[in-house]
Amino acid sequence: MSEQERPDFEALVDEHQSMVFSLALRMTADRGLAEEIAQDVFLELDRCLGQLESAEHVLYWLRRVTMSRSTDALRRRKTRRFDQWVEMEDAHGALEAEPASPLGVRMEALLATLPEAQREALILRYQEDLSPEEIAQTLAAPVATVKSHLQRGLKMLRAKAASSLGEFIRKKGPVPISNGAGWEGAGGES
Amino acid sequence: MKLKIVSLILGVVAMVQVGAAQNVAQLLPAQLEKDLAARASEVTEVTLTKSMLGFAAKFMDGKRHDDAAVKQLIEGLDGIYVREYEFDKPGQYGPEVVEQVRQAVSTSEWVPLVREQDRKHGETTEVLMKVVNGENRGMFILEAEPRELTIVLILGPVKMEDLGKLKHLSGLGALGAVSGAQHAAHGTHTGGSK
Amino acid sequence: MSLEPMDRMDEFEQQLRTALVRQAAPEGLKQRILEARARRRASVGSPQSVWMRMAAGLLLAAVVGGGVLWKRHQEEQRGEAAREQVITALRVTNRALDNVEIKLAAHDTRDGEQEQRRTR
Repeated sequence: MSEQERPDFEALVDEHQSMVFSLALRMTADRGLAEEIAQDVFLELDRCLGQLESAEHVLYWLRRVTMSRSTDALRRRKTRRFDQWVEMEDAHGALEAEPASPLGVRMEALLATLPEAQREALILRYQEDLSPEEIAQTLAAPVATVKSHLQRGLKMLRAKAASSLGEFIRKKGPVPISNGAGWEGAGGES
Repeated sequence: MKLKIVSLILGVVAMVQVGAAQNVAQLLPAQLEKDLAARASEVTEVTLTKSMLGFAAKFMDGKRHDDAAVKQLIEGLDGIYVREYEFDKPGQYGPEVVEQVRQAVSTSEWVPLVREQDRKHGETTEVLMKVVNGENRGMFILEAEPRELTIVLILGPVKMEDLGKLKHLSGLGALGAVSGAQHAAHGTHTGGSK
Repeated sequence: MSLEPMDRMDEFEQQLRTALVRQAAPEGLKQRILEARARRRASVGSPQSVWMRMAAGLLLAAVVGGGVLWKRHQEEQRGEAAREQVITALRVTNRALDNVEIKLAAHDTRDGEQEQRRTR
């Protein structure tokens, strides 16, 4: 991007700070740490802005760097595990600008207990509406790996929700009907 | 704790014969693996030879809390082979694949601990132990379901009780909550601790 | 379980999506970012920072010339990758054994129920 085309840094902060903060928050489950990460990410953006080619590139870069910094931060410290949604609310202290629903807080709490790789895939999919291919690009991971993390993560989240939230389990689609065969059935059903 | 399986291992009769050396990398032909991977919606493939396990162990230096447990578990192993395939729909692999895998563990030193076939649901489950001179020298797990195929082959002395302790392995999350939910759904009770 | 486009997600996935709506950045975050940026820009041009950068550059040249640290870094990366593979393998193994145990338990339950029905 040329000097003239380069967007105003402040405008970028205005546009993307919620995204960056939310990604970091959902990864780390720690508001204070998420703020630090957000600040670091934008300072880094300021350094690299000349190398970014478009608004889409900026968005991709921000997601990628935020996820990377978040996982680095997690590795540097032990992540708290939230088994009760009440704990999550206490840890976050004061009311949000828009208070999250009890279900929302519970879902976030359960998400925080997932393995890191699955959590990052789920956050990018369900917070950012990215496709598996876009997630793979963001995380520099194979698409197959991302799909695996998404499916396993969702499966685990459903199971956790079943035991703690009870009413929110809903499996998608019909269960495959067996043709009653033995070995042939193991791979031969359509 | 994987009580049933551990107790089965302890009850196995000593075998005298020493089987031919097993190559952990050749359980399935390379082309077949490629075909399965191409048809699967998700794939996990890990092949670790003895030297690779030794190399990995050097980097388990206690910086992470599960390093010591994992290092202890893999100490002395000759290799680990894992293939896990999940498919979008049934029928993506045939029984000949399963037969080919079973051929590799059909020699006399492989002792079946679990052999279950559920014809109604098209599921097969097998767990075999390799017993050489009365000692555990390997483990084989096969889980064949209409949309999932899992093969695990571990060569060398497998410390089952240590494997059971790793349920909180970094990245696994609280497995207890998941299996608890599954057991609640099935109306069963897990005997013994995990 | 295939990954559906956004408009074909099931109820659980939709609830998850709702739960993960972006949260507003904390009050004052932008201000703090701009202040930190201003502080950093002020220190970049100072004589002290120029000398420090030169010293770091000389050190880096010495290290890169030797190549020792780089090779060690590469080996550590390979070791980390190998460690991750071990963890993945053990995780799959653990999961497979868990599934086997669940099936055995279910089998025992069915056998027990059948036995009870026979003895009635």
